[in-house]
Amino acid sequence: MLRFDRRLLQNVDWVLVGGVLLVTLMALLNLYSATRLNNAVGLSAFFKQLYFNLMGFGLILLIVMVDYKTLITLSYPLYILGLLMLVVAMVFGETVAGSQRWIDLGFFRLQPSEPAKLILVIMLASYYYRKDTGKGFTLGELFVPIILTLIPFVLILKQPDLGTALMCLFVFASMTLFVKLRWSTFGILAGAALAALPVIWKLLKPYQRQRIEIFLNPESDPLGSGYHITQSKIAVGSGLKFGKGYLHGTQGQLDFLPERHTDFAFSVWAEEWGFFGSLLFMACYFFVLLWGLNIAVTARDKFGMLLAFGIVALLFWQAFVNLAMIMGLLPVVGVPLPLFSYGGSSLLTNLAGIGLLINIRMRRFMVAT
Amino acid sequence: MARGLGNITKMDPAELKMLKTRIDITTAIMVALIAILVVRLWHLQIRKGTEYAQLSENNRTRIQYIAAPRGNVLDRNGEIIIANRPLFNVVWIREDAPHPDEVLKQLAKILKLDISVLLDRIRAGADHPRYLPTRLKENIDWETLIAIENNAYRLPGVQVEVVPSRDYLYGEMASHLLGYLGEINQQELDANKDGTYMPGDLIGKGGIEKLFDRYLRGEKGQSFMEVDVRGFVQKRLKAQEAVPGNDLQLTVDIGLQEAAETAMGDRAGAVVAMEVNTGRILALTSLPALPLHEFSGGIPGNVWQQLLNDIKTPLINKPIQGQYPPGSTYKIVTALAGLSEKVITPDTTFFCSGSINFGNRSYGCWKKGGHGAVSLHRALAESCDVYFYQVGQKLGPDVIARYANSLGLGIKSGITLENEKAGNIPTTAWKLKRFKEPWQDGETFSIAIGQGFDLATPLQICRMTAAIANGGTLYRPQFIAAVKDSSGAFVSQFKPVVDGTSLGSPRTMQIIRDGLAGAVNEPHGTATTAKLENVIVAGKTGTAQVVRLAQYQATSESKVPYKYRDHAWFTCFAPFDKPQIVVTVLVEHGGHGGSAAAPVAKAVLTRYFEMHPPEVVPAEPAAPPATP
Repeated sequence: MLRFDRRLLQNVDWVLVGGVLLVTLMALLNLYSATRLNNAVGLSAFFKQLYFNLMGFGLILLIVMVDYKTLITLSYPLYILGLLMLVVAMVFGETVAGSQRWIDLGFFRLQPSEPAKLILVIMLASYYYRKDTGKGFTLGELFVPIILTLIPFVLILKQPDLGTALMCLFVFASMTLFVKLRWSTFGILAGAALAALPVIWKLLKPYQRQRIEIFLNPESDPLGSGYHITQSKIAVGSGLKFGKGYLHGTQGQLDFLPERHTDFAFSVWAEEWGFFGSLLFMACYFFVLLWGLNIAVTARDKFGMLLAFGIVALLFWQAFVNLAMIMGLLPVVGVPLPLFSYGGSSLLTNLAGIGLLINIRMRRFMVAT
Repeated sequence: MARGLGNITKMDPAELKMLKTRIDITTAIMVALIAILVVRLWHLQIRKGTEYAQLSENNRTRIQYIAAPRGNVLDRNGEIIIANRPLFNVVWIREDAPHPDEVLKQLAKILKLDISVLLDRIRAGADHPRYLPTRLKENIDWETLIAIENNAYRLPGVQVEVVPSRDYLYGEMASHLLGYLGEINQQELDANKDGTYMPGDLIGKGGIEKLFDRYLRGEKGQSFMEVDVRGFVQKRLKAQEAVPGNDLQLTVDIGLQEAAETAMGDRAGAVVAMEVNTGRILALTSLPALPLHEFSGGIPGNVWQQLLNDIKTPLINKPIQGQYPPGSTYKIVTALAGLSEKVITPDTTFFCSGSINFGNRSYGCWKKGGHGAVSLHRALAESCDVYFYQVGQKLGPDVIARYANSLGLGIKSGITLENEKAGNIPTTAWKLKRFKEPWQDGETFSIAIGQGFDLATPLQICRMTAAIANGGTLYRPQFIAAVKDSSGAFVSQFKPVVDGTSLGSPRTMQIIRDGLAGAVNEPHGTATTAKLENVIVAGKTGTAQVVRLAQYQATSESKVPYKYRDHAWFTCFAPFDKPQIVVTVLVEHGGHGGSAAAPVAKAVLTRYFEMHPPEVVPAEPAAPPATP
């Protein structure tokens, strides 16, 4: 099973690899600027992230050696493992800043909600692949994927981590819309989603509700919860055309910007590199994602296509929500910018996703087995 | 296993086409969403960029104001009376305080204050901009300063500001004249909208500190600092130096001031010393003094209450605000009017039997046994009441008032100190207006000897005496010799101001001066206690009745309750033949002028002539002819 056909190497997608390398290098560059003066984090964050990058690329190597189709049979065991990790985090997890999100593995604090998102993508891709009759899914046939999505969603929401939980819903919605649905099914689902909104609102913690309220009227509390948005907008806006220069962003270097190495990492970039630097970054970044869509289109089979699509959807929604939040278009929900924000679990998960994309691309042509 | 996977169903072309279309739609949606982000980025960085750049600049720069050294206050000889010394205040910068509650709890512990005290201060400053400091505690001691500096990182929002504070080198001397500083209040801020003053500034609250605040304060410097989010200074961007305030040189001689206050001891009252021929104030004393050292940085409420309730009225600046019946010092006015109106000549004599009957009342002389036959000279020297009753009766109140006004009584002197009182010189018209009653002839007796409705401030009596001494010129009392900038160059300099000339001829003045010299130098004079060995002093005592209570008539002065005791006056000038200095003393509830007030004047004069020995004093160039 682990026999690796050397001919596959010729099919490695170097464009994707190059794009991802570029993005992660920019991320490291930015992380250095964001943390070098931060006494609480310091340069150790930079080196940790460097090691996680190396580990991540090792993980990619590991992933490409195994045919992605193996995941069809591995999906349920993976899914169970993912849920188990979430439950362990809930029961034994470390509480940081009011959220129980982490499992301490000694050398590394694992945030199981990160791999859980990717596992959900794999689960849904293999489920839709196996159940597709070509006649379009009925509501009854969607019962299982809905349950498969809601279990991790609720577990993550309870941590509480609204942003990551929402990503599960986004991924489910994107992938479900991508496969063939009956129109009636679509109508009912859309109606149910709308009807669920007030219920979700009720389930939110007060601080989460407050964040959304403040987003709608940030001036109501410029130094409280609105502070993040205000300072981030100031950081981004004050970058002007060419930025304040690397390591010279005042909002970031002088601590005005909160969470600037994690969720607000791009604010630091935008402040120091300006409009054109930000455009350059976004060009690289979204090129990688659009390239991922191309991998979906050219996949050898429907599972590959679904999987690639799901991975791109997962990365894109996180990126969009994060950037929109940084620019003050969405409330602060705590979603990192994949491949860019500091955080080991997130980085490893996303690089694993990239590994799967390379895997799918590599095997697009039938190679004798 | 792997083999099985090889059998994955391939997509039929129709399905593949459909899915490809969906990927295209997905691409379109993604591109549209990315476009939204790019437009937003353009909006923030290009369209509104300069606005945000300004906000970020405001975030990181903090203007620190550098207090300007306040000008010194010097006496006429250049002796420093008020200098500066550093004072450490704890201030609160709201903008830098993300967790006020915890920080204030800790700070209250360090300052040993109740947290409510701090919260009250913060609330009082709630209208000020967030970046301006609000004072939490003034004048902290060294240990507190160290405790705060050591815990600085745990106290974001708390800073120690160093402000120059006043150092009163002569303690409480001349306290009413000098005044004190305090934190500017809302009314004062509202009154000065030109930007000179800011919340938290110290401003003069009384005396010359208030009157000359704009000269003394200088201009604040500004230091532009780069700060981080906690307000900790990272580096200094640029700075603009402070301009020191102007020095103020007073006409006051601190040595004479000291002599006056020492001689007064713990008695309440006023001493005014002035140059006869210029109006320059040499000493201006109001006692009890204000506790200036307790005022630096806000007057504690209990201290203020104590001052308000003190029967010695320390809050009244007695030389200009204390209004007392002038008593026998007013006989100078009656004498001047009598001679000038020719109702008497120097040789006119009246018989004093110790009292005089008028209507159905008897008006007594202070000397129960009577003076016998007295002329004007003896009447002044020995202060015969009966003599002046009769002169006054011949003149009537309106004529006397004219002469009094011409000597500056009943009108403000024009000294620039705050809240000067005008005193009161009654006329028949005034009585009718004030009491809706006509003048009673008996009242003329009282006002002729400075009792009854007559009221004067010590400064007015001093100015009157100066006019008699210099032959009738009324100078405006002034206390600023010069305003100098920090390099010593004059900003402005003293010039004498003549406010008018009194009625009465020079010869008449000379006759009165002779009488006043008699009071000090003749054996039966009332003011022999003011006599000097080397200089001839001329003066007039006075005793101002506070109340006339039958029950205390016969008792000795010391048995009468303090507040019912008479005020003691003495006003004098010297040297007799070439007057230079006039000294007026009022001792509140001090008893008799000769025993209580004259020795104080003597002490001041002694000191003056020690510093200006009579033989070597050159004639003042500005002096008008002192004698005819």
